[in-house]
Amino acid sequence: MVWVSSPWKIALMVFPAFILFTAFFIYPVVYAGGYSLTDAAGFSGAEFVGLDNYLALAEDSFFRRSVTNTLLILVLSVTFLVPASFGLALLMQQRVRAAGALRALLFGPAIVAPILVGLVWVFILDPRVGLLNHLLEPLGVPPVQWIGSDSLAPYSIAVVFIWASVGFAMTIFYAGLRLLPAEVMEASSLDGASGWQQLRYVTIPMMRETIGIVSLLLITNVFKIFELVYMLTGGGPVHSSETLVSYMYFVTFTDQRYGSGMTIAMVVFVIGALTSLAYLALSRRGRLA
Amino acid sequence: MPTPPGRRAPRRRGRRPAIIISAAAYLITFLVVLPILWITLLSFQQSDTILSDPFALDSLTLDNYRNALETLPLVRMYANTIIIAVASVTVGTAVSFMVSFALTRMVFRRRRTQSFLRFYLLSGLAVPVYVLLFPVYRLDLALGIYGTYLAVVIPYIAVSIPFNTLLLTGFLRDFPSELEEAAIMDGAGLFRICWSVVLPAMRPILATIVIFNVVYVFNEFPFVSILINDPDLATVSLAVSRFQGQYTVDYGGMMAAATLVLLPQLAIYAVFQRHVIAGLTAGAVKG
Amino acid sequence: MPGQNPSWSRRLRRPVGVGLAVTAILSLAACSSDADEGGKTTITLSMQNADVKTADPATWAIVEAFEDANPDVDVEVSGQPVAEHLQSLSIAAQSDTLPDVFWVYKANAEEMLEGDRLMDLSPVLDELGILDRLPDSTVANYTADGKVFGAPYQGLLTGLWVNSKVLADNGLSMPKTFDDLLAVARALDAKGVVTISNGASQSAFSVWQFLVWLDRFGFEDKADGLLDGSEKWDNPDFIRMYEHIAELRDAGAFSSNVSTQTYQQAVDQFLQGKAAFLDSGVWAASAIQESKVAPDVDFWRGPEFSDGVGEQNIVMNVASAPLVVAEKVAEDDAKLDAVKDFLEFYYSDEGQQILVDNGQPPVTDYEPKLDPVKQSVLASAIDEAQADDVTSPESQPDLLFPVDVSNAIYDSIYGVIQDQLSPSEAAALVQKALDNQ
Repeated sequence: MVWVSSPWKIALMVFPAFILFTAFFIYPVVYAGGYSLTDAAGFSGAEFVGLDNYLALAEDSFFRRSVTNTLLILVLSVTFLVPASFGLALLMQQRVRAAGALRALLFGPAIVAPILVGLVWVFILDPRVGLLNHLLEPLGVPPVQWIGSDSLAPYSIAVVFIWASVGFAMTIFYAGLRLLPAEVMEASSLDGASGWQQLRYVTIPMMRETIGIVSLLLITNVFKIFELVYMLTGGGPVHSSETLVSYMYFVTFTDQRYGSGMTIAMVVFVIGALTSLAYLALSRRGRLA
Repeated sequence: MPTPPGRRAPRRRGRRPAIIISAAAYLITFLVVLPILWITLLSFQQSDTILSDPFALDSLTLDNYRNALETLPLVRMYANTIIIAVASVTVGTAVSFMVSFALTRMVFRRRRTQSFLRFYLLSGLAVPVYVLLFPVYRLDLALGIYGTYLAVVIPYIAVSIPFNTLLLTGFLRDFPSELEEAAIMDGAGLFRICWSVVLPAMRPILATIVIFNVVYVFNEFPFVSILINDPDLATVSLAVSRFQGQYTVDYGGMMAAATLVLLPQLAIYAVFQRHVIAGLTAGAVKG
Repeated sequence: MPGQNPSWSRRLRRPVGVGLAVTAILSLAACSSDADEGGKTTITLSMQNADVKTADPATWAIVEAFEDANPDVDVEVSGQPVAEHLQSLSIAAQSDTLPDVFWVYKANAEEMLEGDRLMDLSPVLDELGILDRLPDSTVANYTADGKVFGAPYQGLLTGLWVNSKVLADNGLSMPKTFDDLLAVARALDAKGVVTISNGASQSAFSVWQFLVWLDRFGFEDKADGLLDGSEKWDNPDFIRMYEHIAELRDAGAFSSNVSTQTYQQAVDQFLQGKAAFLDSGVWAASAIQESKVAPDVDFWRGPEFSDGVGEQNIVMNVASAPLVVAEKVAEDDAKLDAVKDFLEFYYSDEGQQILVDNGQPPVTDYEPKLDPVKQSVLASAIDEAQADDVTSPESQPDLLFPVDVSNAIYDSIYGVIQDQLSPSEAAALVQKALDNQ
């Protein structure tokens, strides 16, 4: 094929993607990194301030809160979601009438725009008009501030994230389960392994890769939570329910502190890069297919 | 959506657990679907009933839909979304295919360049797009495309390149080269090899990529919220955020508008669900 | 509702509506090549609302009336939400493509004046006789380096709307001092009635009454010091003010869902007769007028403090933000004449009456004609603002600072209302934002 590969033909094939990607992806990252070293804000020009923004971030209690909230959501979702969606995938493997329809319904939330997910859940969690408090009222439970109080809001965001992700994670697990060699499963069944033993000693070990991939995907997605916060709490009360990205959005676009905002963006970038690299490493090590 | 026969792991246990298992599966599915049912119910309630007695079934009305349709230019918004999706997905897929073909099929003078280039493009997978918002905003302003479709189309293309390249190079590597070689023998040029030999064989993976990207464009909010400021260019995901200002007190209208945005999406999903699921999970399972 | 609320949308710094709007870049490009078609002069007017027609009906009506009266002038109105509007202006200022007349925050206007981007309006306003008709405090507020850089856009008359029926039904009389208000809050809380209706969700800026309180704790005298760093926000006076907010909160004055309800829901709460007071301003007059509580509603400047600092008998009745004119207008005689005509019309009695008809108080000394029945609510606010001996600060405190400091001020107040911040933490939060400047 050497003759197909004249330099100009290679260039022709490579350049469109290369230029678009460089101009609108790599350059912006570099630009953000540069901005994070300045005090750009509002109308005034930018001046180089070195690492001041990074140091100031360490002192920013709202930022620290957004980190702990993100971590809280991360821990809650991953510890709950991975076993729950795995269990659900196992459940969907059983002889259930119309299992295909159920799987399609469970996957449904994954195609709903996150901004809509947030809106829908406002009408479930809102202390005054939400479904949840309406259901609890006859049981004599006083209105609970699911969103709007600093204590419960991050948990509520985690619940909504779980809702939006469970079908997606289940589907990946389900796909993984179906790829397990039928002979091995059959053999272990015939060996008299109980359902639990089979799960514990055969299924889970064979699914290790998939579990790792699902976990990393979910972690990456937690660091992208933005619309849910934006719709559910607006980050309030007083920034106590912000996540990393929603706080970055506030600082950059509402406060117009571009330098500080880009500093948070760089933090998000580093975290995102690390989790994604771990994901890539893992998925390259053992391809599922 | 029938389950393919013979793939279920064989079960030996009795009938009783089967009932419990079915019940659990149905219950969980119901709980997951419940929020969507709930807003659909609310969308037929009068606004004040939503506050006082949301379960009432005797005062259902279509007024909310009338209001929402009058206030939101839904047709316009769908048209915009489709224009943006078609433009960005077509170009994004095309340029990704071209570069992936070059990376896997063409012979570079230095192999190093080739693998570096692949790594360079894939590195985009590690960047959360939120980092790009503000810089891209400034870039759009500087290029004078702010306030046009291009303001979002170009970033969408750029954002789609890493994932597309990942899938396409993965596929092309495993793809047998005999067909191409035969075509070369026949004297086919580069264009004909790509267009009539390789592309047709890649239909399934291209479908996956197209679906993944279209769903992304339909649901994307942060970019459009910042880069589109002309109501005539607003997309459906922007419509959703617009309810807040416009309907802050009119809960019914808000719910109706949300349902109007949701339903077409769910309907399309129902028709193509196997492909959609395959598309959205492709990255994870195929690696 | 945005129709009646240009003022709150103007304060809407959260980019809730990020996205709506005529693109300023395009319109700016369009206006820089302003073609005079058929002898018509075109001037551009760029505002802080995406949809000026519905969000700012007063401005829209003035433009319409002006165009009718001046068929040779065409006013091209464009607008974007505040954040985008300011962004576009900053780009336009750098490339010298500013619109002819535009709305901008005072702090930004001063920066532009320094960069010689704005016209000194004093000769024009003087020639047109407008200067004499504006309150001295407004002129002083919009003067820098001896130049008048802006004319008041609309009035910002804020206070507490009072539902006197709620008070009477609970055997309470109208409070005058803070201690009275505290007693009212305790009594109403015991009966499960909200005293002051506020909503923090998506509307962190809806704390107008407490901005007045800052002025009752000596803000006016401290303002220069706060701006140049010689005075601290966490001074004992301001902390005392925050403590009073905390006392009100502990007395149960605020709605239990103050954090999840929006400003609109707070208004709704008041219109339903479920709250005794509403923290808002004149822009709510039309909505109140149309509701069933209208006959019982009065306007109150807010409580006086025995431990306050300086004059207590004040009402927040200031210019919200200036309308400014780009320097390059002076280079084009036809344009300059058109802009002059526009300003003359805006501040004429006819123009001011259009403001009033759209629920805005006049910004000149014009005595408006109000229908005592159909405009009873607005009339009560204007009466309160013009009551004997009452004075107004020069500016609303938040309007003197850059946007991040303003946001910190709002957060500090809602932080105390929602029990997220102690009074000293609240004050420190604003000080931190000031330190960043």
